[in-house]
Amino acid sequence: MTQAFAATGAAPARKPAGIFLSAGSLIGPATIIVAIGLVFPVLILFRYSLNRFEPRVMMVEAFSLENYAKFFSDSYYIDIFLTTLRVSLICTIICLILGFPLAYVLARTQTRFKNLLIMLVVLPLFVGNAVRAAGWMTLFGSKGFLNSTLMGLGVIETPMQIMFTEQAVIIGIIAVNLPFMVLTLQSVIEGIERNVEEAAFSLGAPPATMFWRILWPLALPGIIAGTILTFILGMNAYATPVLLGGPQFKMMGPLVFGQFQLNNWPFGAAVSYILMVSTLVLTASANILMQRRYRR
Amino acid sequence: MARLELDQVSKQYGDFHAVRGVTLDVADGEFLVLLGPSGCGKTTTLRMIAGFIEPTGGAIRLGGQDVTQLPPWKRNAGLVFQSYALFPHLTVNQNVAFGLEMRKVPSAEIAPRTAEALRLVQLEHLGDRLPRQLSGGQQQRVALARALVFHPDVLLLDEPLSNLDAKLRQEVRLEIRELQRKLGLTTVMVTHDQEEALTMADRLVVMSEGEVRQVGTQRDLYERPSDRFVAGFVGRSSFLEGHVEAPGLFRTAGGLALGCDGQGGGQGGGQGSLALRPERISISPAPLTELDTTLEGTVEFVSYLGALIDIHVRISPEERVVAQIANRAGGFMPDIGNRVHVGWSSADARVFPGRAPTS
Repeated sequence: MTQAFAATGAAPARKPAGIFLSAGSLIGPATIIVAIGLVFPVLILFRYSLNRFEPRVMMVEAFSLENYAKFFSDSYYIDIFLTTLRVSLICTIICLILGFPLAYVLARTQTRFKNLLIMLVVLPLFVGNAVRAAGWMTLFGSKGFLNSTLMGLGVIETPMQIMFTEQAVIIGIIAVNLPFMVLTLQSVIEGIERNVEEAAFSLGAPPATMFWRILWPLALPGIIAGTILTFILGMNAYATPVLLGGPQFKMMGPLVFGQFQLNNWPFGAAVSYILMVSTLVLTASANILMQRRYRR
Repeated sequence: MARLELDQVSKQYGDFHAVRGVTLDVADGEFLVLLGPSGCGKTTTLRMIAGFIEPTGGAIRLGGQDVTQLPPWKRNAGLVFQSYALFPHLTVNQNVAFGLEMRKVPSAEIAPRTAEALRLVQLEHLGDRLPRQLSGGQQQRVALARALVFHPDVLLLDEPLSNLDAKLRQEVRLEIRELQRKLGLTTVMVTHDQEEALTMADRLVVMSEGEVRQVGTQRDLYERPSDRFVAGFVGRSSFLEGHVEAPGLFRTAGGLALGCDGQGGGQGGGQGSLALRPERISISPAPLTELDTTLEGTVEFVSYLGALIDIHVRISPEERVVAQIANRAGGFMPDIGNRVHVGWSSADARVFPGRAPTS
């Protein structure tokens, strides 16, 4: 009796434990998955990247930056990095140019088929990258459907080289990334009042002026989010460059995997860190620049 | 400022006629209000004037120039939206300056003209704020200043007061009207609020189902409504269905013989409605003598509105009328169930031909 009294006296404002328990149990699993699935591997990978590779014993404990030095002193790797950067940038810009009008139409349409249209945009994501790329190989390969049809019709004499080019990879990555861009932009444009555009028109702004002065700055959060998403996806693309780019075409994603395949974990880890850090630095600085440019 | 003319303007969506043959002539400096229930085509008409909707027929002239085919950015019309539609990423000053920048006004002139427009709406001290930092009433004024600053040929107001609370709405009505008069702005306003329309307009246009039902001053619409719809929409009326039996004599469906305005329509035994304004119906506990029509009835319902009292009186098993009396000290104040006498002069009982709408 006295004990119970003392206990209630000591913590009179205590809330039922159940609330904390349930909140904790809701965010707990996600936290654990992020910790185990992302934080630990990233930390371990960083440690590995400082180790040394010996062909026979594979990994030797060390604290050196020689893996990083190897990457930046070899034009072969620098070229791969620059190719990756170029492909990602081109894909991101084209996704933005193609995606904005599409997202705008989706956001502004009054039709009751809107959900169907959104489904059509998402539909390509239902097909895995590898499956799609394989399909393209049968379509665009040197003996593929397109080339054999054109040769059969006598339009061309030698097969066109469509597959295994940088363009093929760029088109492939755009096809994968475009839905992400469109959906991100669409949700932001939907939040912009249609009347605001009409107000600009009524004040004397022709469509292009309205776009740059009103729609673009108001859609900027979506533009930033969409470009970051597609840029990161482009930088880390794996299946598309491997399948559509062929053995001669190199990007960072396949390079990382290749190093692990060769059992050179320290160099693979270093390459992944270079990829990760450069992607983060580029997106962060682009973000800051864009926001500074349009801050009012 | 300029004269605005609409000549047989129509808008058709497939088989649906949103607006049919609307012809209006708004004089330079006139305040015209388009009034009607939702879906009557008033907003479509305004958006055609602004240039957002292309008419399927007819012509729109602004200051004598045919603007029917011009896009909105080439018409010199200032538009205020119901939602204000301020640019959320621009300050008040930048919002107001937008129209001037679009018109390539020299930058040295922009700041003073912006300040002047904001002074007109008494917001000159808030130029550096963003729209979201303003109250609804302030945003409304910024929208007005933004539409006025470039001296538009016509000011278009799309339900500009609907998002304000009742008290503020009354103030802003007067402010807009005073400003409009001071600047001599040709103005077209759209509203479904008849009180707002009556307080602000020089002339009103009552619309229904895409058509203009009547154009006129407040007095024209109230005293001489052209049809049953206007009689019911502008002010209130009690309608009694029936037919005109002889000039000046209306027979209701319930069998009552009532005096009516002999000039009205509905002659020849056709169907018609007798419209009675509540304040034109006399009501008294004692028999009324000097009126053309007098009846006895039972008070069925009393609405106490403060200054006015509505009394619903059943005059036959199927029919009742609403009489309105002023709430005077020691005045007549009937209770539900009381027997009362009602009456009116025939000149106040207008007959409109046609059947009652089935609503």
